[in-house]
Amino acid sequence: MTVGTHAWTRTETPAAPGPTATLRAEWVKFWTVRSTPWSLAAMFVLGAGLTTLVCALSAEALARGDVGEPVGAFVTWGIVFAQVCAVVLGALVVTGEYGTGMIRATLAATPRRGAVLAAKAAVLASTLSVAGTLTALAGYLGGNWFLDREGIGLALTDDGVLRSMLGSGLYMAGLGLFAAGVGLLVRHTAAALAIVLGLVFVVGNLVMVLPGAWGEWATKLMPGNAGSAIATPESFNPLLLDPWVGFAVFVAEVVAVLAVGAVVFGRRDA
Amino acid sequence: MITAHRLTKTYGERTAVDGISFTVEPGRVTGFLGPNGAGKSTTMRMVLGLDRPTSGSVTVNGRRYADSPAPLREVGALLEARALHPGRSARDHLRWLAVSNGIPRARVDEVLELVGLTAVAGQRVGRFSLGMGQRLGIAAALLGDPPVVVLDEPVNGLDPEGIRWVRTLARDLAAEGRTVFVSSHLMSEMALTADHLVVIGRGRVLADCSTAEFVADHAASHVRVRSPQHDEVATLLRREGLDVAAHGGELRVRGLDPAGVGELVGRSGLLLHELTLVRSSLEDAFMTLTADSVEYAGAPR
Repeated sequence: MTVGTHAWTRTETPAAPGPTATLRAEWVKFWTVRSTPWSLAAMFVLGAGLTTLVCALSAEALARGDVGEPVGAFVTWGIVFAQVCAVVLGALVVTGEYGTGMIRATLAATPRRGAVLAAKAAVLASTLSVAGTLTALAGYLGGNWFLDREGIGLALTDDGVLRSMLGSGLYMAGLGLFAAGVGLLVRHTAAALAIVLGLVFVVGNLVMVLPGAWGEWATKLMPGNAGSAIATPESFNPLLLDPWVGFAVFVAEVVAVLAVGAVVFGRRDA
Repeated sequence: MITAHRLTKTYGERTAVDGISFTVEPGRVTGFLGPNGAGKSTTMRMVLGLDRPTSGSVTVNGRRYADSPAPLREVGALLEARALHPGRSARDHLRWLAVSNGIPRARVDEVLELVGLTAVAGQRVGRFSLGMGQRLGIAAALLGDPPVVVLDEPVNGLDPEGIRWVRTLARDLAAEGRTVFVSSHLMSEMALTADHLVVIGRGRVLADCSTAEFVADHAASHVRVRSPQHDEVATLLRREGLDVAAHGGELRVRGLDPAGVGELVGRSGLLLHELTLVRSSLEDAFMTLTADSVEYAGAPR
């Protein structure tokens, strides 16, 4: 039996596989598990579908002016639910490897842990930003069709609409990275999901009851609140930071979690 | 070549690997033998740069594994357990590994063929039997056509045909001039596969020698004697300076071969019912050697 092609006589160092090898390997890994297409499909259906549905149901009331909420808050309504999928996908990219022992194969193939992490982050963020933007666009097109019929539709060129489309992509990417960073720290899918979803959906709303300025600022600064303002032309919550200011805060939070995760990842035994 | 120098790994209070030094030479199969919990897998993870040594060093072909620009082309490894995502197909698993180290795509199909998984290459590995998983792990180890091959417990979960296949493969790889390092807790398997043995227990090297030497040094033998004149035979042999132990109706004689024992008894006119050379198995030798270093011994029954 011949196993290979005489490479074992090789004494010289094999050529480095090129700067994009790790990135391409992570890309292959990302798209060859079923959780990826499922999460993205769920994001699209929830995000675009719920936006369209809610706009269809509320268009008439909105047009009468008896809702008391800005129309701009409705054209990206479904993103609140679509973000769950970004969190799931982000967490799984990391915890999926720890749960299965895959992390050892990954680090044996690419011992430079920083490169592995950077490649994972790039694949995740690029995919989520495209998927998030497409989801928001589809929701806007679907929902706005009903709003237009009532004469209250928004044009893509209206204030904040295009920004919210791209912003939905950016917010999804940031949220996925946040979940991946938490995943690096806890190395467990359920724990990572509980922490991130708990922060975004539960803690993010609970802090509003803190007294006075504490409650106001905690609400402004929680990641789900700070980051999501960019994903809607006009928010339901007037207390939130301005979209880009909030997003800057959110990015800082994501970077902080990822940085701590990266340090731990770099030191820990696989 | 793999060189470990005073390699040590501690987890809190517990020392898993305690300053071990050894060399794994090319062109032969080196067995890495020890009971469960002896530190084999920890050592192998340190070889692959997955775990960081507490002190000491281990190098592959003169440098740390992590410093290789394309490690899969220098060291192929089958890791303990299954370092696989159950939802990915066998081919996709090998494909990302190939991409990560700049290994040509065609090599994926070559190794699938080599381990006999071509027909199921498109199936998700979560459905694989333990044996198929081991074969896929071996395919991954051979993907980069590496000069050094590290296999951690490769025969776990394999049927007899699979065990023979791994044994032949390991020997073929060594015959091709590669460095082959195979861990196992099965002495009998290593006796058939390995040319050289590094035996560890409780994180220390207990023996580092050729398999033949190990057998000669550790596999004790005795002559079993049965006689209706049990006591007279025992007295006679003891008088000749032999080590005689009585076990029920038999005598176990050490210090002389069966021919010598038979002649002594015959010349004295005593009767013999049985005269047998009993070699204690390698497994026994291994058990004796590592008896003090077994981490989780069962209570005696």
